[in-house]
Amino acid sequence: MDYGIAGRVAIVSGGSRGIGRAIATTFAHEGAKVVIASRTQSNLEETLAELEEIAPGRVHGIAASMTDPESVKRVVAESRDRFGPISIAISNVIGHVIDAAKEGSGPGAGTFQGMEAESYREEFTQLLVSSWALARECVPDMKDQGWGRICNIGSGVAREPSTHLPHLLPNVVRPPVAGMHRLMAARLASDGITVNNILTGSILTERNRSYWVWLAKERNITVAEATQDMTDRIPLGRFGEPSEMAALVAFLCSDQARMVTGQSIPVGGGGSLHL
Amino acid sequence: MDLQLKGRLVSVIGADQGTQAACRRVLEGEGAVIAAAPSELSYPLADIVIAVGGVRPGSDLLEVSDPDDLYAAWDDMTDAVSAYRAALPRMLENKWGRFVWVGSAQAKSVDAEADELAAMTSLGMLGLNKVITGEVGSNGITANAVLRGGIATDEDVANAVTFLCSEGAAYLSGITITVDGGIGSGIF
Repeated sequence: MDYGIAGRVAIVSGGSRGIGRAIATTFAHEGAKVVIASRTQSNLEETLAELEEIAPGRVHGIAASMTDPESVKRVVAESRDRFGPISIAISNVIGHVIDAAKEGSGPGAGTFQGMEAESYREEFTQLLVSSWALARECVPDMKDQGWGRICNIGSGVAREPSTHLPHLLPNVVRPPVAGMHRLMAARLASDGITVNNILTGSILTERNRSYWVWLAKERNITVAEATQDMTDRIPLGRFGEPSEMAALVAFLCSDQARMVTGQSIPVGGGGSLHL
Repeated sequence: MDLQLKGRLVSVIGADQGTQAACRRVLEGEGAVIAAAPSELSYPLADIVIAVGGVRPGSDLLEVSDPDDLYAAWDDMTDAVSAYRAALPRMLENKWGRFVWVGSAQAKSVDAEADELAAMTSLGMLGLNKVITGEVGSNGITANAVLRGGIATDEDVANAVTFLCSEGAAYLSGITITVDGGIGSGIF
């Protein structure tokens, strides 16, 4: 199927690894002009080289932190200068890591009893302010074109906080992020702009693997046991691949999905419990 | 109905004075004791902490131009966290406690209210309530929310808050009661 996004300019934050890289790759295959932003120059170069083979001359990388609104502004301006007005914005920023040495580089851990109020603010910056800033900078271009796609890579805990894990910060900040996108969808629908949110379930990324290593240590079990415990919660009986996230994101960003907006959609192998 | 609130110590915090005053009045009518000046001194003694989110009628997330406005709304949430955490040790000791957040019904239905910043903040509190419930719920501590919408009065809101504080609401935690006169059309 032709998704109708050839020639469209797409920005993917966190685009050099994991889910972001899979999305950027799919967009490249669909003929879009793809800008990836990432904090780490080495990851960026490696992924760009890969993308360049798929889409010569249609990819661009920018080293930037997408949690700082000023830096988001710079990324959007540079993307526009390079390829033209932005049509697709994918926000894919990870949560605040409180103590990487202690906790692995996985999702922000912590408990209500142990977490200082200040950490809630940092997570808010990572997850909410970042996606707000990206949408805000891209919306004027989308309005001019009468066409736009905003998609946030969120988490299943937005709808069902994970209380079996020490997972306080995502549990608290993912719901507002999902809600913000729902509210933006209502504001932007009449401009031909759709806004959706992915409720990520258990996807196999390097980051998730490091989280399980941390969790296993924390619970004094083996990594295999920790992984099995997570797998047992997934009706499909396996973890998802980043490409399986990218498949839904590409559809939501297609011309065909023009009537789908304001949705939070789980990609979790049937693991979500909400009706 | 005896709500069994006699002698319970209540701290009410937040930005919206009218709603706070109504909560104090209704709870006092049920025999609860209201902390005269809610402060860092009173939180550690409270059996009940009620946090009232700020009201920013007509706020629009896409119209916000300064990220500081986002943080200002979010601070309502982190202020509640600080008060809740200060109250928690005594609640754990007593095996009894009530946390109630008062926020916007737009958190659950786009048409229930028009206050996007308050909706955003409230969604954070709904997540937090689930976490609190999972962590300390077995100690007789509940964490819930009242979401106001439509043309609900301060009194309407305070009545729902008071119910959630009562003994009869002991098995309700991590839930929301929407007080919006039925205007919100979201089912869930």
